[in-house]
Amino acid sequence: MSTAASSPASRIEKGASLWQDAWRRLSKNRAAMVSVGVLAVILLACIILPAIPKFLQDPGMQSLENKNLPPSAAHWFGTDHLGRDLFSRILFGGRVSIMVGLITTMVSVTIGITWGAISGYVGGRTDAFMMRTVDTLYALPFLVIVILLGAVLEPITGHVTEFTVRLFTPSGSSAAKANEVRTAVEPFTTLVPLFIAIGALSWLNVSRIVRAQVQSVAKLEFVEAARSLGLGHLRILFRHILPNTLGPIIVYTTLTIPGVMLFEATLSFLGLGVKPPNSSWGILIEEGANRMLSNPLLLFFPALFFSTTLFALNFLGDGLRDALDPKSSKD
Amino acid sequence: MPRRFLFLAAAALALVSCSRETQVERANREGILILGNSGEPKSLDPQLVTGVIESKIINSLMEGLVADDPENDDGLPPGAAASWEHNDDLTEWTFHLRPEGRWSDGVPLTASDYVFSFHRMLHPDLIAPYVEMLYFIENAEAFNKGEISDFSKVGVWADDDLTLRFKLREPVPFLPSLTRHYTWFAVPRHVILQHGKMTDRFTDWSEPPNMVGNGPFRLKSWKFHDSIEVEKNPHYWGADQVALNGIRFLPIENPYTEARAFFSGQLHSSYTLPPDLIDSVRKKSPKYLRQEPYVGTVFVRLNTTRKGLDDPRVRRALGLAIDRAALTEYVLEGYFPATSLTPKMGQYEPDPVLRFDPEEARRLLAEAGYPDGKGFPRFSVLISRPAARASTEALQAMWREHLNIIVDIQNKDWGSYISAQQSLDFDIASAGWIGDYLDPTTFLNLWTQGNGNNNTGWSNPEFENLLDQAAHESDAAQRLEILRKAESVVMAEQPILPVAYYSRNYLLRPEVKGWHPLLLDNHPFKTLRLDP
Repeated sequence: MSTAASSPASRIEKGASLWQDAWRRLSKNRAAMVSVGVLAVILLACIILPAIPKFLQDPGMQSLENKNLPPSAAHWFGTDHLGRDLFSRILFGGRVSIMVGLITTMVSVTIGITWGAISGYVGGRTDAFMMRTVDTLYALPFLVIVILLGAVLEPITGHVTEFTVRLFTPSGSSAAKANEVRTAVEPFTTLVPLFIAIGALSWLNVSRIVRAQVQSVAKLEFVEAARSLGLGHLRILFRHILPNTLGPIIVYTTLTIPGVMLFEATLSFLGLGVKPPNSSWGILIEEGANRMLSNPLLLFFPALFFSTTLFALNFLGDGLRDALDPKSSKD
Repeated sequence: MPRRFLFLAAAALALVSCSRETQVERANREGILILGNSGEPKSLDPQLVTGVIESKIINSLMEGLVADDPENDDGLPPGAAASWEHNDDLTEWTFHLRPEGRWSDGVPLTASDYVFSFHRMLHPDLIAPYVEMLYFIENAEAFNKGEISDFSKVGVWADDDLTLRFKLREPVPFLPSLTRHYTWFAVPRHVILQHGKMTDRFTDWSEPPNMVGNGPFRLKSWKFHDSIEVEKNPHYWGADQVALNGIRFLPIENPYTEARAFFSGQLHSSYTLPPDLIDSVRKKSPKYLRQEPYVGTVFVRLNTTRKGLDDPRVRRALGLAIDRAALTEYVLEGYFPATSLTPKMGQYEPDPVLRFDPEEARRLLAEAGYPDGKGFPRFSVLISRPAARASTEALQAMWREHLNIIVDIQNKDWGSYISAQQSLDFDIASAGWIGDYLDPTTFLNLWTQGNGNNNTGWSNPEFENLLDQAAHESDAAQRLEILRKAESVVMAEQPILPVAYYSRNYLLRPEVKGWHPLLLDNHPFKTLRLDP
């Protein structure tokens, strides 16, 4: 800003938006940029490679006599205890894990931000009521509720699956074709409703964080200024207050994604998440940990993918927090 | 310099190795045997349990009329009874209790304790889950089903404090072997009545410090999901021959975790070893690996009341599509492909009827109205242990490949897995059965109508008829022939699909002495020694 004073009055500096500033700062953060690259590679690999027909081996295809093979040209990461190709299982599993992590986090953060921001901004009785609601929800045992939800949603997801199968199966095709389609869509159609529900239940922490942030920011002078300019409440809240609370939210978000991926593994083992023979990173890691003594690679490769993603998300989160902080200097 | 470095390194190493005494090394010093026991027992009341987990602990706390032999399955060393005799047609038996027999609180063990025990177990109000084991006694079944209410009509009497007399409904040549099973054990009347009525279920009597038994050990502590510990019982008649000071049972549910605990020196013996670890253990530490024959069958239980599974052709098709040879070679390593339901046992060998024939399986499935798997209902396979997942996933793939049928896999904890089957609230379940005594009826009796372990909804009058005939046949060879016929009836209808015969795979440390391979796997703890 120091240059503005010396410039001619006609060349008023064009105000850089928050996002432009953020991007400029983020691009200077090497760890964050490397993380973006790594995440992009993993995401693209998980989304695109399984979609190319015949490129990967069928992750459910067993050939028992080829079990526990070491990595080779035919099986890049070797095969698992039932002779399935580990590489394609990791990529197919990654689709499920990443999708579940993103959807749940998005739902939970959206609800949490809205709830917390309104509660913190309005204050008074509304705030008390909204926060007591959060306290009440906190008291409920999370895992039990999720198991209940799973039971309630099961018939619904069954219909969703059948509907999707019919949508993608040309009429008159064989049962084998229908089964093929079913295997492909099932991990998604059964999981998405459940994890939307989980996201809708796990916004409590976010809402508390956002409320506290909003309360402290709402007392600052620039909010007073905005108010005196006659701006509406919504505009003040979402345009001026919320951007100042982004730091903690983003950190929390990047920590939620791996948390949800792990939770999915817990649920899968209880029979609510991905059903065998489909996989997710959580399941692959659990299976690998069990067979650590006989074939350590079954643990190593899925864990490598999982922890790389986790690290990258954390670095990116740190970078975003610094970059998006409106209080930090312009350069 | 290098010398000084070496010295330092040696000192550091010595320090590390001193401070790192493993659990097993400490237990060796203290004379305590540490065993993996797979899970938390439902109860220690021998009349209310059915599992193998419970039987291990109960066998340390109680002893039957006849004891287990450490080396020989057919050996019948005297236990609570010093001697016994029977009449010529094997229907009347008299057991003479040993006069020095005591409960672990010092109270004398008498024949009337046994009468009380059978009365309690057979009483309809107790709802004992394994009561069929006592149906060999005359009128026992009628009393249990409430058809008669006078217990003195049931064929068990105490003639005096030390003489116990049985009258059986049929000749039972294997009765002494049967009394080694926990359903035939005595329970302490004086303790049970102190903690409730005779037929009260799950009272405090079978918990520490109340529990009293007549075995070589007594219950010391029960820490939920941590350990159950038993210590030497000074009132046991053979206490001077018991070498161990105590046994600790660890309820480690995940067999892979258990194997890791064993290799880090926390266990003397593992409850089991997952088949897929056998290869690597054989290569790395063969001295710990034990692979022994076992009378048990891994099978798939079908709910025959479900539409689709009610058709024997469908059930046979599912069975014919199982490649048992591949399963036992690559997944259930060390097990043997099942050729029928009952494994070979002494003189008994059933017809090898099971085979792998996908062509025939597809034909049967089409005949039943599901050509190419079209329209076949979507079933779930119930499993309970992580080790069962691999084999069930293999089955899932075989049915998909050969029959174009998709099944789901559903995991439940042990308690709800059992109760789902008992209430027929399942489609297909992966299951197993370990023989309780060395006679084919331990496998065949399961499939009679109303047997608490049938859980398939299947019954067949011809089958029950044959079992009844066999029960009244006194010629041993003829009897086995009839049983073979009965087995072929089950195998023609296949309410269950046998997959493999168990082999008992587990890990054992070499310092445990007096541990010999046994078909029924009931190693008497009183003869075990620790010799590191």
